[in-house]
Amino acid sequence: MEAPPQTVQTLCRMCDDRCGIDVRLEDGRVVDITGNPAHPWNLGRLCVKARAAVDTVNHPDRLLRPLKRHGDDWEEIPLERALDEIAERLRAIIEKDGARSVSVWKGEAIGFAQQEDLARRFIHAIGSPNYLSNDSMCWVGRFTGYKLVLGAWPNVDIENARCVVMWGANPPHSRPNLTQRITKARRRGATLVAVDPRLSAVARRADLHVAPLPGTDGALALGLFRELVESGSYDRSLVERATVGFDDLAGYAREFTPDVVERETGIPPATLSEMARLLRAADGRVALYPGNGLEHHENGVDNIRAILSLNALLGALGKVGGSLFAPPLPLRDLTLYDERPLATLEPLGADRFPVLYEVRRECHTMTALNGILTGRPYPLRAMLLAGANPALTNPNSEKVVRALSALELFVVRDLFMTETAALADYVLPAASFLERSEIHTHHEIGVVTLTAGVGRQPEVQTEYEFWRDLARRLGAGEYFPWEDDGELNRWLLEPAGVTLEHLEAHPEGVVYGSPPVDAEIERFPTPSGKVEFVSTHLAELGYDALPKYRRPAYIETPDPAYPFVLMTGARSLLFGHSRSHNISRFAEEAPAPGLEMHPDDASVLGLADGDTARVTTRIGSVDAPVRVVATNELPRHCLQLTHGWAGVNANALTHDDRFDRISGFPLMKSVEARVEPAGGAG
Amino acid sequence: MRIVVGDPEYCVACRDCAYACAFAHGGGFDRESSRIAVSFSPEDRVCLPLTCMHCAEAWCMEVCPAAAISRDPETGAVVIHEERCAGCKMCLLACPLGAVSFDAAAGVARKCDLCGGDPACVRSCTVDVLQYCEPGEMADARRESLEAKLRAVYRKGEGGS
Repeated sequence: MEAPPQTVQTLCRMCDDRCGIDVRLEDGRVVDITGNPAHPWNLGRLCVKARAAVDTVNHPDRLLRPLKRHGDDWEEIPLERALDEIAERLRAIIEKDGARSVSVWKGEAIGFAQQEDLARRFIHAIGSPNYLSNDSMCWVGRFTGYKLVLGAWPNVDIENARCVVMWGANPPHSRPNLTQRITKARRRGATLVAVDPRLSAVARRADLHVAPLPGTDGALALGLFRELVESGSYDRSLVERATVGFDDLAGYAREFTPDVVERETGIPPATLSEMARLLRAADGRVALYPGNGLEHHENGVDNIRAILSLNALLGALGKVGGSLFAPPLPLRDLTLYDERPLATLEPLGADRFPVLYEVRRECHTMTALNGILTGRPYPLRAMLLAGANPALTNPNSEKVVRALSALELFVVRDLFMTETAALADYVLPAASFLERSEIHTHHEIGVVTLTAGVGRQPEVQTEYEFWRDLARRLGAGEYFPWEDDGELNRWLLEPAGVTLEHLEAHPEGVVYGSPPVDAEIERFPTPSGKVEFVSTHLAELGYDALPKYRRPAYIETPDPAYPFVLMTGARSLLFGHSRSHNISRFAEEAPAPGLEMHPDDASVLGLADGDTARVTTRIGSVDAPVRVVATNELPRHCLQLTHGWAGVNANALTHDDRFDRISGFPLMKSVEARVEPAGGAG
Repeated sequence: MRIVVGDPEYCVACRDCAYACAFAHGGGFDRESSRIAVSFSPEDRVCLPLTCMHCAEAWCMEVCPAAAISRDPETGAVVIHEERCAGCKMCLLACPLGAVSFDAAAGVARKCDLCGGDPACVRSCTVDVLQYCEPGEMADARRESLEAKLRAVYRKGEGGS
């Protein structure tokens, strides 16, 4: 007998917004997804990506059985056999080269928090420190900046702000429902400043669009710092009470006069002074939101430090409508960094990028991929990768493919045979976010939600089930004692003061936080306990204590062979990185990314909208359709190409050999490039 | 009656609404077939979401020689009945908003039907610009927004920094 249609409330995880959704099921099959009006994050509003989850879970190409490689062919094998064989091969590798020759790689596609921590737990449980992830080039650059300046990443209280600053972030495309909070603030009189070289979607209607040249944001921030100090309009009490290094940074920032800022960034003095005016006028209720656009530069973390330092000058710390530190939901921690610290085993990249490892226990993917090919600093033989597609998303794709192909054992878990999965020895089908029951917190609004887990498929494991079964086979089962995801969730929730049953009964989310209030922050979780305009810790590690501005290489040492600067990675509405390109109704609407170009540059090159251009960097060449933008949408001599497409792959052009000195983030946004019409343009 | 209204002050032309409309009516994401159009003029930085206002005196309905356009008694929406539409395009000419389009493949005119009272465009507007509301509510919202801005100006004038 057919079951009646059913609607289940859960969360979307097509992006990190994690909106409340109503999933309509017929015979256990997902047939529609709409916004859940009862969930406080999105209040029923939902972007087109979420609807695409229906196509994702029902996709005819969805992997539902484990696959084993035989040369160029794949054999479907039972799950238990796949796990047995993988465990046996891992055991042999560990015996020969030690546990650290095995790594895990967590991808964006499986979600954050609990799933990430399961991968971290597994790799430490079997004795290797080599946890790799997409965070080698996303999020951790900003996290590092926050750790160094404020000691933690605060909640940026957009909704209650009097001035919202989106700096290198474009939420209408990257986190769509964050945008409704900006609109709510604006309806109450808040101003909006968008800082981005491009006229991004969020910049279109901003009160002020500030367009620095790529990678020059630090000079802009220091210019603002100077302006606020010189005009005497800064929060003296907060600066005196709760910061270190003010005189040093104010002294250094003195160099960044409006003329210098204009020379470095291209921003006219009037725009700089207007931005300073809007910041000042907000009485500290400034929601300064740093985006991923700041991270992919050789000078990223210092630029971010300079930007975040403005929070203290503006008095935005501990203020409603500013940046607040609310206690997180006290969930149990799945990682084993206290129980099994393995830092002495030389986590990959930790020697060159000690801060990356120290703040986030993150190994460095570019170092690891290099290590697979060179055997240095020691052999990396095996990798278990879940929900990532570095063949398209890490820089220098050609080398990524070469390195992953050279692994002795490469296991990929995914929903589809991605460009990365195609290189694996075993491909295991992964459960989509809809099929998993997990705990999610929206820390911005202090709400915790349990996802439902609907439409489970046989032989398709959740993240927990996979790591549990493999750990048990490798003699590390003691670290994975929970029978299933439900038991794990119950354990995670034990200290949180909310039960699993309560969350199950409230799929629209449960409030754990309290409304924001102005509160003087007594102590910041930095080494000094204060906001650190200068970092003694960085100085001890051989870096500058001050957030010094370093010109991007394309400005400092221009190379006439590469007269353009290429940015990659601007977000698109339909696609999350390399995902959803296989959904035919999306692919029909957006078959390829456009190479964004200023009309004057297009005219000089003899290129028209829709022509094919060849972009060449020191790493590689790509042919892409030209998208000529308006004169105010992109500065001259700048290009933008969004990543994630297999055919026109932006990461065939990006650097895996030039990094931010502190975070180790690769150069993907200030890339020297040249452009010419491709052969047979048109 | 309630209609779909969008506030150009805050619209960012992400066009999520147009994708949602195309999907709700045709199962694809071809924005050309959407019944809400969002124009964006980069040089002016103006974003304009426009769709049918379901006029009290609906000229498209009055001009239709096939009586294919009528008012939905439940929602008040002015709707085209495709099976009666002769494809004469008089409604396209009559509409002062350009809110009626022509589907050449099907040979019929198309316009917003308010999705039977739960407009997909509004549900998809993550910028919170589109509202399904009485026209007066939109005016109230705009006035409140202006008042908030004026308050900010006065706050500064009275000693705020």
